[in-house]
Amino acid sequence: MQDDALALFARAGHLVAESELNSRKLIVSTTDGRYSFVLVKPGDAPTYVEYGVADAGVCGRDVLMESRADVHEPLDLKFGRCKIAVAGKREVLGEDYNLLATVRVGTKYPRIATDYFHAKGVPIEVITLSGSVELAPLLGLSDRIVDLVETGQTLKENGLEVIDVIAESTARLIVNRASFHLKRVEVSDLITSLSRVIDSGTNKGSAESG
Amino acid sequence: MSSLTKIPAGVQYFFDDEVKLRRYVERRAMDVFAGWSYDEIILPMFDYHDLFARGMGEEKAERTYRFVDRDGALLALRPELTSLVARTVATRFIKRARPVRLCYSGEVFRYDEPTERAAREFHQLGVEQIGEPDILADIEVLLVAAEVLAALGLDGFRIALSHVDFFNGVADFLKLEARGRAQLREIIDRRNSLAVEEFLQTRAPGVEESRRADFSRLIQIAGKQDVIRRAREILINGRSLAAVDHLDKIYSTLDSLGFGENFDIDLGDTGGLEYYTGLTFKVYAPGFGAEIGGGGRYDNLIANFGEPEPAVGFSIALDGLVGAISMNDDKLHWRGAGEVQTISFDGDTARAFEQARRMREQGKQVKICAK
Repeated sequence: MQDDALALFARAGHLVAESELNSRKLIVSTTDGRYSFVLVKPGDAPTYVEYGVADAGVCGRDVLMESRADVHEPLDLKFGRCKIAVAGKREVLGEDYNLLATVRVGTKYPRIATDYFHAKGVPIEVITLSGSVELAPLLGLSDRIVDLVETGQTLKENGLEVIDVIAESTARLIVNRASFHLKRVEVSDLITSLSRVIDSGTNKGSAESG
Repeated sequence: MSSLTKIPAGVQYFFDDEVKLRRYVERRAMDVFAGWSYDEIILPMFDYHDLFARGMGEEKAERTYRFVDRDGALLALRPELTSLVARTVATRFIKRARPVRLCYSGEVFRYDEPTERAAREFHQLGVEQIGEPDILADIEVLLVAAEVLAALGLDGFRIALSHVDFFNGVADFLKLEARGRAQLREIIDRRNSLAVEEFLQTRAPGVEESRRADFSRLIQIAGKQDVIRRAREILINGRSLAAVDHLDKIYSTLDSLGFGENFDIDLGDTGGLEYYTGLTFKVYAPGFGAEIGGGGRYDNLIANFGEPEPAVGFSIALDGLVGAISMNDDKLHWRGAGEVQTISFDGDTARAFEQARRMREQGKQVKICAK
């Protein structure tokens, strides 16, 4: 995600020198010195932005949904495409969750999982895991998993399949609500320059006006 | 034992310089309010839960800390002060000349989700002007807010202006039902312009594609007169256009008074739609990553407590002001208290106290030390 993001920023005219990136610095600047980038774990990006220590950030929609960070989300950057899906062994439960009083769900996304099942009126027991979520249904730790699915290959190899797609996820530009006003010019220049690159990169013909 | 090993969420203790800074900020703000002839009102810490539900709506009143009176009636710690002001004006100030100008300073108590940053207990400073429907009152409260921030040395402050009828006009035009309104409101609030474009594609297929695209960009970025100009080109419903005219008048006046840089027009702000009826605004201070205050016109509130009356006001979180000032320490108009003078006690008790009295009369801070 970080490489894709930096490539997009470079195409929009915000280039970080190779030497900066090869260093072990966690804060790097564009060659024109206008913007600085803080390199953080994907899951932490919304936190940095919500607290305003970073004015803007890039993270997946999955991370954003899970964090519930109160930030602006002005652009879909259209890379890092994947699905947040419910998966499991279809033969075990089908889609009839009413066979169980409580469905056990293994996930890295406890909030997304809870919201999804509660919206269906299904009580769940969330088992929060930090990796190899596919193991949970195989070992009988959970009935279902809620996880990110790119191609579905890993699921298939482990005898699991996608039961339902909760949401499509792509990388998003997020902006702190106060920075949006306090640094209006820098923020709007960033949004405008990025959206120009994104619009030209897709076939979506959108009228360029205003 | 738990009271020694645990602290309830949101509880705060202040001491040393932070107390002095908080009192200083409070005093400066109240001085500004007084300069604009807003009289201070001291309000009760709690009242019937029903009063707050009438004031800010059932949903928000859910966030109050509640307890029961001896007769079983449900009480709540005050979650905001405007409802209490509104009730007072609608009942006890009936015979007074309008507009009534009141200001307050006090703690409010709200339960927020654990993930939310807002402290559960915080201190608000605010003004309410009741009985004046004219745009003059809208501009006045904005200038009062601006003066408070300037008086504290927070020169880089921003106040973002919006108007509820911008959104309401669009929602009416699209004939949105409650669910559609909520959905559009949320995606506009997050500046998710792609989602707005997709929403309009389904809900307003009759509108030209270029106009839909322009609209989705209009809500994405705040600005000055350029936003007003673009809004006039894009909008096709009268209610939203009237809102834009209103904002134009306000902004032009503020700009001519030299505040152009401090104010933004932000048509993507959809906050407070249930409560406000006209102008709305949010206050930001450099160094603080969230809004520190906000306000607007609320012409329907007073009718919940008596006869309908127009009203406009705002509140600013003392914690936000203090936070911003702490981040901009070098620019502080504030300095800590004067140096404390020490009198060493030499055995003559009366002389030490006499000396201390003389020094205090000269305006000094004194302490007497036994050794």
